[in-house]
Amino acid sequence: MLELENVVFRYARRSEPVLRGVSLTLRDGEIGILLGKNGAGKTTLFQCILGLAAPESGSIRFDGEDLLKMPRRGRAKLVAYVPQHIHFGALSVFDSILLGRVSRFGMQPGREDFEAVERILAEMQLEPLAGRNAEELSGGEKQKTAIARALVQEPRLLIFDEPTGNLDIANEELIIDEAKKAARQRGVAILSSLHDLNQALCLGDRFFLLRDGAVRYAGDESVLTSEVIGDVFDIRSRIITVDGKKVILGGKYYEET
Amino acid sequence: MKARSRARHVIAALALAVLVMALVCLFVGASRMSLSDGVAALFGKGSAANVRILRSIRVPRVLAALIAGAALSVSGLVMQTTLSNAMASPSTMGVSNAAVFGANLSIIVFAGGFLSTGNNLAGYTAGVNPFAASVTAFLFSALSILLILALCRVKAFSPNVVVLAGIAVGAVWTAATTLLQFYATDVGLSAAVVWNFGDLGRATYKTDLLMLCAAAPGLAVFSALAWRYNALLSGDAAAGSMGVNVSRLRFFSLLLASLMTAACVSSLGVIGFVGVICPHVAKRLLGQDHRVSIPASALMGSLLLLCADAFSRSLGSGSALPVGAITSLLGAPFFLAIIFSRKEHGQC
Repeated sequence: MLELENVVFRYARRSEPVLRGVSLTLRDGEIGILLGKNGAGKTTLFQCILGLAAPESGSIRFDGEDLLKMPRRGRAKLVAYVPQHIHFGALSVFDSILLGRVSRFGMQPGREDFEAVERILAEMQLEPLAGRNAEELSGGEKQKTAIARALVQEPRLLIFDEPTGNLDIANEELIIDEAKKAARQRGVAILSSLHDLNQALCLGDRFFLLRDGAVRYAGDESVLTSEVIGDVFDIRSRIITVDGKKVILGGKYYEET
Repeated sequence: MKARSRARHVIAALALAVLVMALVCLFVGASRMSLSDGVAALFGKGSAANVRILRSIRVPRVLAALIAGAALSVSGLVMQTTLSNAMASPSTMGVSNAAVFGANLSIIVFAGGFLSTGNNLAGYTAGVNPFAASVTAFLFSALSILLILALCRVKAFSPNVVVLAGIAVGAVWTAATTLLQFYATDVGLSAAVVWNFGDLGRATYKTDLLMLCAAAPGLAVFSALAWRYNALLSGDAAAGSMGVNVSRLRFFSLLLASLMTAACVSSLGVIGFVGVICPHVAKRLLGQDHRVSIPASALMGSLLLLCADAFSRSLGSGSALPVGAITSLLGAPFFLAIIFSRKEHGQC
């Protein structure tokens, strides 16, 4: 279980804090969605969890272990990351996924590392792409390869930064399916940022709405009301139900008259 | 796989080309020694003059080209990867500028320049010590590296800060060199300018050993870190999430690459462009996988310096032209041809 308690972070000593006491918990196999306007602190929070930025105060624990004090390689065995902008440096898909094992193999990969990559290629049906240059893949294939690279780390927590940001609707569905599979089948906790509120409803179990560097609202999908959305995003919205599922119509054009 | 087999073939072809060019540089020269005399001289047989030419001049020169070419090229590759900057080169940290200042200081001020002998050639020749110039050049290069790395550690160890600090500190060394040269005597000035030309003719077994002592461990460490450099191609955040300590990797890679460069520049003078073009050509041919691009860059660097050396000696009618100028003259058109003839292999 991921537990964040009162995490405070600022980029420079005298600057305004970007995170002002963020607290949240996320259980194994649960998908948490971070929602908030640009600049709300979502990416900074991810950097703190990944150990790429050091919080000024507060604690970040996973199953009671302090992630902030954990050695980098140890943390990489627990937490994996799928960035928003994905680069592979013109390596093959196989080698790009093998990079996920760096924390385990150190200098040179061994047999178990190659086997782990072969397993994940088969599970995610990426075998036909294994020899391709990863930079030449389509957006969806790249994203899928990045997920495979993160999963081959065998993490307990997976962090997604805007996983569907640059994808068409078919690839968005594909990535949401892969993320759900990772959580349900492997029991991996997932913390993801998303801008599309309806995608968030499709993917998430719990929602954390950030405003001005703090979690203003948290809970299951019932937390996403017009008032809450208005308070966090400064927009007017309308919530309707289609075939029993909640749909959020954002913006003044959908305002209830 | 297909890509790996292609890489093996390209690396084997490069190794063969390096071997052929090394033999050409060994057995072709101004003395017009026949091939059989050359081979005999290599084993200590034949005329004393031939043995001396081959063993004291050509062998150290070829070894210098092999070692310095590989070291400068791989240093450039590592700089480009760790700084995520296609224009980064072994000189990015101001190493060459500092070496030039150190050597100029030694030549102009301490070894027969205006302070001790005035504009007197005999006095200059008596006072000059080539090793003093190299040692001072190395000391100032090392000082420059440590200064930049210390500055970057205070601020932030980001690629842009390193590059900008390198440009600023390099500019200070260049300005200081200009001031030194302004006050130098004619003799001191000409000696300093000649030192600045990269010249393989300066190589001896001692300088080769010095360069090898810096290059061999450097190349071994860089090869061992190939997977970490591959991780860095995904960006700092992604590499960090894979367990790579990006700041530490960047710090030690820059330190090692700069020390390798300092050892070469202090021994041979400034040989520009090898560290920029050779890694790019290697990456264009084989992609960015460092398991392949490190050996390919090393071979490309050695090959370019050997070709430049052969070319410089064939044009100079007995005296070799500065190899530093020839590397750019030979390398730049080849580089442009590769850039414009192949499709992109991704970013640098």
